[in-house]
Amino acid sequence: MAHHPTRRTRQAAANDLAHVVPKHHVLVRLSHWVNVPLLLGLIASGLSIYWAAPVLLHPPDPVTGSRDYLRDLGLAIARALHDAGGDQRFWLYDHLSLGARQLAVALRLHWVLAYLFMLNGALYLLGLAAGGGWRALVPRASDILDAFRMIRFYLGVVPMAILRRPWPHPPVHSKYNALQRAAYFAMPVLGTLVVLSGWAMHKPVQLGWLERMFVNYNGARIVHLGCMLGLGGFIVPHVVLVIADGWDTFRSMIVGWSARVRQASHE
Amino acid sequence: MSKHRAPRAPRRGWLAERPEGAIAVPRRRLAAQSRRDFLFFAVGTLAAAAGTWWLLPDRTKARLLPKTHDRLDTLAARVGLSRENRERALDRALSFDDDVAEALYSKDRRVRTYSRSEVTPLRNNYDGRTPGPEYLASWSLGLSGLASGSDQRLSIDQLLRRFALHGQVTRLVCVEGWSAVAWWGGIRFADVLAAFPPAPSARWAALRSSVNLDGAGRPDPYYVSIDLETARHPQTLLATHLAGRPLTLAHGAPLRLLAPMKLGLKNIKAVTDIAYTVDEPADYWNERGYSRYDGL
Repeated sequence: MAHHPTRRTRQAAANDLAHVVPKHHVLVRLSHWVNVPLLLGLIASGLSIYWAAPVLLHPPDPVTGSRDYLRDLGLAIARALHDAGGDQRFWLYDHLSLGARQLAVALRLHWVLAYLFMLNGALYLLGLAAGGGWRALVPRASDILDAFRMIRFYLGVVPMAILRRPWPHPPVHSKYNALQRAAYFAMPVLGTLVVLSGWAMHKPVQLGWLERMFVNYNGARIVHLGCMLGLGGFIVPHVVLVIADGWDTFRSMIVGWSARVRQASHE
Repeated sequence: MSKHRAPRAPRRGWLAERPEGAIAVPRRRLAAQSRRDFLFFAVGTLAAAAGTWWLLPDRTKARLLPKTHDRLDTLAARVGLSRENRERALDRALSFDDDVAEALYSKDRRVRTYSRSEVTPLRNNYDGRTPGPEYLASWSLGLSGLASGSDQRLSIDQLLRRFALHGQVTRLVCVEGWSAVAWWGGIRFADVLAAFPPAPSARWAALRSSVNLDGAGRPDPYYVSIDLETARHPQTLLATHLAGRPLTLAHGAPLRLLAPMKLGLKNIKAVTDIAYTVDEPADYWNERGYSRYDGL
């Protein structure tokens, strides 16, 4: 780079400018990606812990003897897939967790990852604050109607493509549409709740006030499981919509900017 | 830029989202930054993949990649991601969690108590076969590591005659995740400590059940470590009664530890010996990969 630009180089530099929209603070990007292995590891080890003593129980099944809904579901899937490898009752645990009978190692992994998850969550909140990105997540009154518009749009995408009719995306006047905002706002909320319910279960005596916030010990367990389902369930539509939206959206979470200066993005 | 909510006044509230604006950046700088960010992303992905493989339990790895897991392990060990290092790292994380727990601990904090109407069924969670009843007739509690220098053996009648019975309804929380509220009765560990003081240098109690059995019914002594501060807690009992009746074999007759501020695995059943020690004694489940502090 020339430190004393002549008229010609100044002209060239001006022609060589790219226009981009800054999207995500560096800490938000970093914590987003670090979350991927952490969350997967927490879910896998968490389900291995859950296997040892499920909290959602039904009376014992007369045939299988199972009291655990996740065992029933795993058995149903294994039978539907004619999967005879391994213990069919533990199909769900064998495929989504570290496996059955792994409590000691699952607990150790869960604590390690949980501390990293809290640290990473703090980095994310710091990034939201530093970059001002949190303002795009604040719910607003117009979100209710806009959310219905978005649901109507998503329901119509495939049929209208088949019918070859135009099906314009509802106008979006901010960084996110109403459904995105609801989902992205829910993530830090669920993240906070999963940490609080985790501590309530981990130290119910020293943090008795926290345990009481979830009514009792099992209350904290159920909230913890529910948060996991919320955080884990978010991953599927999130990934599908990012793929549908394209390279620019994916790249923006790595480099921080979007080259879409005129269009809105719809990840 | 088309993303303006145009008709509104420009000055909006503190909560209001700021409109996104495009900035002009020299192309070369943008390219260099993107290169750097993607390189960082790629290195991070590789590191996360290696780290994940390293931390996975051996049995999970064997199930995931039955043919190649050994070769990958050898490769990982060559860059320092060995099994030994993994165990060391996980142990260090456990110690950190124990330190956090100890920082949270207050000896004056009481465990939450319940009313008798809130009692829930308590399962017999003996890992092996439930022992007895042969041992009951000859059972006595041995005390060693005392200040007096001589050991003591006390029968259940001697203990119940000498020490006052206390009742409490508390929750027992198992490491597996289940828990149960139960009405316990027993003598205070603190009272036994006052009557038979340990040697002044002792910091720990090693509790042992020599009648414990494994799954095949063979002798498999069970032992836990308890720090004396926890033992002196007023809610730490040497429990002799459950639901108003003497303990059954399933729940550790005739005497078990009830330390409701510790996980159930510390609440050793059918205690036969208590030894006071200077250093932290061995703990059965700690030797099998669990934490040894286990404070709730």
